[in-house]
Amino acid sequence: MTTLHGSLRAALFCATALGVTAPLAASAESVLRLDEVPVGQLDPGKASDYADSILMFNAYDTLVLPVQGGPGMAPHLARAWEADGDSWIFHLRDDVTFHSGNPMTAHDVVFSLERMQALGQGLSYLFGVVDSAEAIDDHTVRFNLSEANSPFVSALVRLPIIDRALVMENLADGDDEMGDWGEAFLAANAAGTGAYTVSAHNPQEETMFLRNEDYFLGVPDAAPDRVRLRYGLEAATVRTLIATNEHDISSQWLPPEVLRAIGNAGGQFLTETSAGAFYVKMNTTKAPLDDVNCRRALSAAFDYGAIMQIIAIDEGVAQGTPSTGAIPVGMLGANDPDAILERDMDAARAHLAECAHDPADFTLEIAWTAEVPVQERFSLMMQSNFAELGFNTEIRRVPWAVFTDLATSAETAPHISQIFANAVTGDPDTLLYGQFHSSAAGTWQSPEHLADDEVDRLLDEARRAEAEDERAALYAQLNDRLMEIAPTIFAFDRVSVFGASNRVAAPALSDPDAAFGLDGMGFSFRLMDMTD
Amino acid sequence: MKRTLVILLRNPLSAFGVLLVATVVLSALLADVIVPFPEHRGAVVDFANFNQPPSAQHPMGTDLVGRDLFSRIVYAYRISLLLGVVVLAIAVPIGVTVGLVAGYLGGRVEYVLMRLTDVFLSIPPLVLAMSIMGVLEPTLINGMLAVTAMWWPWYARLVYNLTRAEREEGYVLAAEVLGAGRVWVMFREILPNCVPSIVTKMTLDLGFVILIASSLSFLGLGVQPPTPDLGSMVADGATYLPDSWWLTVFPGLAILLAVFGFNLVGDALREILGADQ
Repeated sequence: MTTLHGSLRAALFCATALGVTAPLAASAESVLRLDEVPVGQLDPGKASDYADSILMFNAYDTLVLPVQGGPGMAPHLARAWEADGDSWIFHLRDDVTFHSGNPMTAHDVVFSLERMQALGQGLSYLFGVVDSAEAIDDHTVRFNLSEANSPFVSALVRLPIIDRALVMENLADGDDEMGDWGEAFLAANAAGTGAYTVSAHNPQEETMFLRNEDYFLGVPDAAPDRVRLRYGLEAATVRTLIATNEHDISSQWLPPEVLRAIGNAGGQFLTETSAGAFYVKMNTTKAPLDDVNCRRALSAAFDYGAIMQIIAIDEGVAQGTPSTGAIPVGMLGANDPDAILERDMDAARAHLAECAHDPADFTLEIAWTAEVPVQERFSLMMQSNFAELGFNTEIRRVPWAVFTDLATSAETAPHISQIFANAVTGDPDTLLYGQFHSSAAGTWQSPEHLADDEVDRLLDEARRAEAEDERAALYAQLNDRLMEIAPTIFAFDRVSVFGASNRVAAPALSDPDAAFGLDGMGFSFRLMDMTD
Repeated sequence: MKRTLVILLRNPLSAFGVLLVATVVLSALLADVIVPFPEHRGAVVDFANFNQPPSAQHPMGTDLVGRDLFSRIVYAYRISLLLGVVVLAIAVPIGVTVGLVAGYLGGRVEYVLMRLTDVFLSIPPLVLAMSIMGVLEPTLINGMLAVTAMWWPWYARLVYNLTRAEREEGYVLAAEVLGAGRVWVMFREILPNCVPSIVTKMTLDLGFVILIASSLSFLGLGVQPPTPDLGSMVADGATYLPDSWWLTVFPGLAILLAVFGFNLVGDALREILGADQ
């Protein structure tokens, strides 16, 4: 009765949104309800975070998709591709149409890339290596790269293909010859080929999706007919709504206790392992952390076991898995999954004895991100860990915006700070280059201000290398080097955990053989089943 | 004074108020003696005991890093009361002086001072304090400054009105005729006659200052962790409702008791001192 009531109400809501006057006719439709943090950025040129990814992967399509349950890329809008010197040639499907009914062609791909580069926002940095794109014919496109670049094909999962003709009809004034590149239009409307169309969008409140009956791969009957994605719900609200069957999937940002409560109230857990990790960053330019032995001492004194306790949710479910080194398990160059890092106070004292500084002379500043409360607990844990070595510490709560500013300079970057980072394309390059290459120092990803020639060399070579095993070997060397110079404490490999009702089954978020290994892709609604 | 206390205790409602206030003040003063885990007011972790429901060992449960909630609430009272006392100790003299000067001197001085007061009164108190805290770094001292900035105008207006009424009284005229200076008249003649009203308002306000300070820290603009603070405890715990209810309910009750107690006493004082006049 509750569910009938719920779906009736949701149907009524959708009907109102669409101006449909016969709500009862819609009551048989299935509705999926989920939430994320605001804002939901619907413009493909600006999308970057998790909520944005959910929007992109449903309203738009990309040339390639990650292979489910394994490494590599599978065809999607592109049938096939091949390298041609430093260029890549992609052969497109000829049976794909946009939501507007326009056919998808090579000109749309060129437009999407040029728009991404012209706006220069969001994830456009992934395409900095592309000099130009050209349509060879209607269904063949060539990308000319400035140099050989192996991660390029996987970067294409972050290039949503936009309906050029529709955007051109809706150009507004701007400084460019292309007007505003459709910024005003695409902020509120989707112009893609995706399995779902966007029927209403308010970036602070919610996005409504409708099944696209003309999707080129078809949308299975069991997939939701409508989806309601809401932004900025309180943790306590989400927990209560799921228990009363009025909500289906939570965001991953809930604290472990709340997720556990959802499970205890009869819900299920969905997980996504997305090639990322939790990092404790050390400013390598500030004494005493400018001495590698002091850094190694802290790395050894860090309690890898206790942090797993903090992030544990339920038997077999946690917001992370034990770390084995600098590269998360499952990625190129990762260590053996059984070789997990452990606390070793003897080793810590031995390293400290070799450190040129006396810990008593310093007070280490430990910063935690105000928006992620669980980091306060991590900070308190480190405070007691490092005190055993004689380090005084001071815990400081720093809002994210302030932290990104502090990180830019070696003088202001805190001694110790904490971030979550992941490979936005699934390729290790996008996880590691921005964090550890000296040319990328001084962003929120790289408050270590690390400058190590060996690390730089390995990162550059791995980017140019073509063969998979050659890249794996280079990343394995990089892993060893990073463990040796310890700019960072590699605390745990990240797992995103979502609390969910039992109305929904999502194989891509529960079966490792169906997982994409890419942040947000598990939320492809067409692959979910509504069970009532 | 003694008579006032007797009257206070005779009325059951105000006696209850006195009991509440006494509990709050005494527990704040004697925190080090009565709490089971004095070290838990700081950055202590005990992950073996985190987020435990109330038990014999932890009467109000433990928080998310395993600290005893009861201990933290008692220490939070100490900080809240300190904040209330300091805020009133700064705001009352400023407000009283402004009100006296404006009410007694009149003319252009009155115009300037009272319009300035009106400007402060026209901004909703919490909004004013929030904008001040938004600019300054959130520390205990700045929190006091922000709350003080929104509090003095109320005293200025109260004393201004009282002074206007007293100014024409015979005893004031008599003092002036005898050649008393303006400062003497304001502070030695008029002010003593305003004291009952000021004291009543201060008692009422102590509760409200605690409430406003808690609201600020609920919004993340007040005292920063690991310093215990009732408002931030409620805010932090709200995420974990309804399962870990003790994280929110006990700090919330603590705020309620303090504000309720000071209100009851303040109301009773108003009646007693008003009748005296």
